Amino acid sequence: MRSRRWFTPWLFVAPALVIAVVFYILPFVNTGILSFTDARALGGGTFTGLENYARLASDPQFWLATRNTILYAIVVVPLLVVLPLLLAILVQPQIPGMGFFRSVFYSPVVASMVVVGLIWAWLLRSDGLVNYIFQTLRIISEPLPFLTDATLLLFSSMFVTVWKGLGYYMVVYLAALANVPRELHEAAEVDGAGAVRRFMSVTVPTLRSTMLLVGILSTIAAFKVFAEVFVLSNGTAGPGGDARTLVFTIRDVGLGLGGEVGYASAMSLVLFVLTIGFSLAYVKLNREEQAA
Amino acid sequence: MHIRRSVAAVVAASALGLTGCGLGGGGGEQTTPEATGAPEGEITGEITFSTLQLKPTFTEYIEGVIADFEAEYPGTTVNWIDVPFQGAQEKIIADAQAGTLPDVINLNPNFAQPLAVEGIFANLDEVAPGVGEQYVPGAYEAFTVPGQEGHFGFPWYLTSEVTMVNSDLMEQSGLDPEQPPATFDELTAAARTVAQAGDGKFYGMHPALENKVATDLVKLGVPLLNEEQTEWVFNTPEAVAYVQELVDLYDEGVFPPDSLTEDHSKEIEAYQAGRIALFPSGPNFLTIVRENAPQVADATVVAPQIAGEDGAANMAVMGLLVPQSSPNLPTALAFAEFMTNAENQLEFAKIVTILPSVTEALEDPYFTDTSDGTVDSLARKISAEQIATAKNMVPVQFDDRVKSAVIGQIQRAMNGQQSAEEAVQKAVDEANAISFR
Repeated sequence: MRSRRWFTPWLFVAPALVIAVVFYILPFVNTGILSFTDARALGGGTFTGLENYARLASDPQFWLATRNTILYAIVVVPLLVVLPLLLAILVQPQIPGMGFFRSVFYSPVVASMVVVGLIWAWLLRSDGLVNYIFQTLRIISEPLPFLTDATLLLFSSMFVTVWKGLGYYMVVYLAALANVPRELHEAAEVDGAGAVRRFMSVTVPTLRSTMLLVGILSTIAAFKVFAEVFVLSNGTAGPGGDARTLVFTIRDVGLGLGGEVGYASAMSLVLFVLTIGFSLAYVKLNREEQAA
Repeated sequence: MHIRRSVAAVVAASALGLTGCGLGGGGGEQTTPEATGAPEGEITGEITFSTLQLKPTFTEYIEGVIADFEAEYPGTTVNWIDVPFQGAQEKIIADAQAGTLPDVINLNPNFAQPLAVEGIFANLDEVAPGVGEQYVPGAYEAFTVPGQEGHFGFPWYLTSEVTMVNSDLMEQSGLDPEQPPATFDELTAAARTVAQAGDGKFYGMHPALENKVATDLVKLGVPLLNEEQTEWVFNTPEAVAYVQELVDLYDEGVFPPDSLTEDHSKEIEAYQAGRIALFPSGPNFLTIVRENAPQVADATVVAPQIAGEDGAANMAVMGLLVPQSSPNLPTALAFAEFMTNAENQLEFAKIVTILPSVTEALEDPYFTDTSDGTVDSLARKISAEQIATAKNMVPVQFDDRVKSAVIGQIQRAMNGQQSAEEAVQKAVDEANAISFR
């Protein structure tokens, strides 16, 4: 009986497996192959070895995009690991009206990133609401060029990413907080631990695995950032494209009739290695902290 | 390892924003095209015709022309596909790989270029000799490949930029709107005066670099490419002076502060909102302004495009191209010629403010009659007058990546990150690395 049914599990996973292979694995392998060729949108496809990777090494646009992308991850990931947790703790109590606040904090998540980007582009203009408030409060005397200074544009994009992602990870933490045993908090309280101490000694250790998950997810999202930068900069990535990210550059190089598909594929593989590398480093760091 | 890839023609995004209401089609009295341009072979069977985002605005017109063609040539069937701009290039590249390309494709010269270089399109000099005689010379020459013989596209509709001026803002600035700027120096002088008067409430003009950099340099006599068209060579003192002028204009507040990285769509918005006084652009955009800001449209005065030293104006061209691989080449060629003939183009030009590429159609009184006193008819007249000697000034090699690289360096200079000279040199270096690596 058992030998006749060995294929049954495979039948169940087959649809998902086929989709994964056709739409994820095969394109990934194809990208890898193309990265060693001079493939273009039209024509090309001759094997060129490591020429694309050598070209990347001396391409200032690539290094600029890499720097911006890594900076993006370094700033955004810690914020998206910590802030949603604090937000979740704030909205966790089951008191009347708290559901409204949970909905409000979650609402940016369901909004389209393009719509969110357009709204923030309007708010961050030289004559926009943000500059108006800052000038009215005498924080600044001249409007800040949020959209035309590459550094400010990059940090504005980071702000939009964090603002939009808060609600999503807040919900993840809310689910995890529900599993934190109340007895631990009560015991800590009895021992005289204050709110902050309970947070650091009870909540955080209990939620470590969730924080790891949030860290990995937000790292991947940060490395893939595109829409925020694109919409805020009107598709230019700032003056001279100085706020460009890796995905932005890949799109710039690889799309269109003159697209250099082989070169863009090489860049994509580098992005993949970077993303995996950072995620693994995060996991390792977390394990070392746990061991300690 | 050589990976063989099949290639074919691709539809590209329109260079022109089309607006207006769809009217009836090209009439029921279309005649057979002139024999001198008629492609050889039996005209029958089924073909596919692809356009870019003409539905639903021009559905009636296009379907009317198709019906007339099918009536003229019994036994033919034209299947019309309209492709949205978003993702159009990717879709057509995918179609090319699958071998399901349309028989007649709507493209502009810049998008046609990478495909024409691959020998995708039928050479009209061979398959339809003499067909080009009916078209405006500058338009027909736009669909050629540098260094290669032959013409590859039937010119379709054209636009030629005019200078639109908000007379209210001009008057508020102490300028005479009936004396709009006629040269680059007058344009920047007027823009400075308006910006000074505006004091942050309104500005002189919008940089709109993506639309103007290449054409402005050509008009100023700067050679973009060398004679062999193998190298970008626009790093000349005149180009440096042009960029320096842009830097100065931005520093002086002649451009709105956020306009540095904004594109033409933002320029239209700024003009509609009464935030800029000078708006050099295609007259077809006046229709958009009229829809969204009738007051500004009523206050608009129109003047000829600021031309180059030789007096030539720039024009933007759209065309219809036929892949050599079309399984029904005679019918495809006949349809492309039919769609772009004088009668049909004249009808199209009456629906939206574009110009026909057929010389005979341009002689119609519709393009000279301004008796209704509207700025729209004046814009049409001025635009039509320019077309006869207009040229497509943007080289086909000036694709999106080169444009982005050049504009990026100019933006850095305007932002104070580098000098104008550095910007021009780096722009040339980057453009050459992209185009001729």
